[in-house]
Amino acid sequence: VANVEGKATAITVLTPVKPIGPIVLCAVFWAARNITSSLTKLQQLSFIHYAQWAVIDRFPDAGEGEALGHHYLLFESNFNGTWDQYIDAFSEVVALRMQAIWGTSYGFPGPSPVEPFKDYIRRNEYVANHYWSAYPGATTTEIISAGRVESALGALRARAAGLEPDAFRRAYEAMLGSIQNDL
Amino acid sequence: VSSAHNVSGQAYCLTVLTPVIDGREMRLAQLLDRLPSGAQSPLAGVPGTHFARWAVMSDVVYQGPEQGPREHLAHARLLFTSNFDGALDPYLEALRTGLGASADDIWGNCIGYPGSAQASGFARYLRHHQINSALFFAAYGDRTVSDVTRSLALRARLIDFAVRAQGMSPSDLQAGFLAEFGR
Repeated sequence: VANVEGKATAITVLTPVKPIGPIVLCAVFWAARNITSSLTKLQQLSFIHYAQWAVIDRFPDAGEGEALGHHYLLFESNFNGTWDQYIDAFSEVVALRMQAIWGTSYGFPGPSPVEPFKDYIRRNEYVANHYWSAYPGATTTEIISAGRVESALGALRARAAGLEPDAFRRAYEAMLGSIQNDL
Repeated sequence: VSSAHNVSGQAYCLTVLTPVIDGREMRLAQLLDRLPSGAQSPLAGVPGTHFARWAVMSDVVYQGPEQGPREHLAHARLLFTSNFDGALDPYLEALRTGLGASADDIWGNCIGYPGSAQASGFARYLRHHQINSALFFAAYGDRTVSDVTRSLALRARLIDFAVRAQGMSPSDLQAGFLAEFGR
């Protein structure tokens, strides 16, 4: 499947936006960018590497772009795990956000129950013809953990040679203890 | 027109929608479907790319009478998205040189594509067809591809070392650690 590369999955969704939608979306995205709790909420979805929303007023062409009868909302995500787990989490963890965003699109049935939501995404989804990841074997959690491991290891590396063996062992064990959830 | 929010930390979210030459849609989709994946992907030759995809969009999806009359794109679109390290201009040049002949094989199916021989024309074409993000989420937007791959490798080595080092005397442990990780 072209939407899958190793542990990573791609989602690409495009939906037509109601006339009031662009104004609502502008406010919703402003809040998401500027209110810290919004970002924290997204970070709870710890399986998302990258995700973006974009509002398309004109589809680019050689000239000024092609305007259709409505603006279109593009959603794109790179995540680890299965498609079903992803939409389940959207439905359960960030239901209000999903309603605020996709609620501006025609045909959106709401984030729950989850089955009509999944049908909606499926109907409006585009399959990637080619998909690439620089680290297809890694989950988002592993990448963030590896950063903490590198910091802890770097701190011990810097002083390892100067310690007595017993002091080194204590420092080593303390280092391992501090990152035990990251290994 | 919404303003651009294509950056999170040092990560950039590039979205390009180019019109496909009439009659070339199937050929383009098949070409992309047949590109080798993983390390053989043409995108493997473009440094700093975390995730990227191409998707052929034949048309927009109609949501029913609530939306009003049916809407159609005058031309199918090719979507290219990439989450990459650093600024746009150097990345567009990395795409041009890194994709090699694949750039022309792919975008050569799009209206107005000038070819990759000239850096300025190639960059201008992609910029002209760029869509700006309204909200871009990056779970580790401060980390480059090399940061990610380096720390993942280090984490794997530490796990391996910690298993091997169980039960070692303090001096063996220290010597082993220094041999494995240096300073």
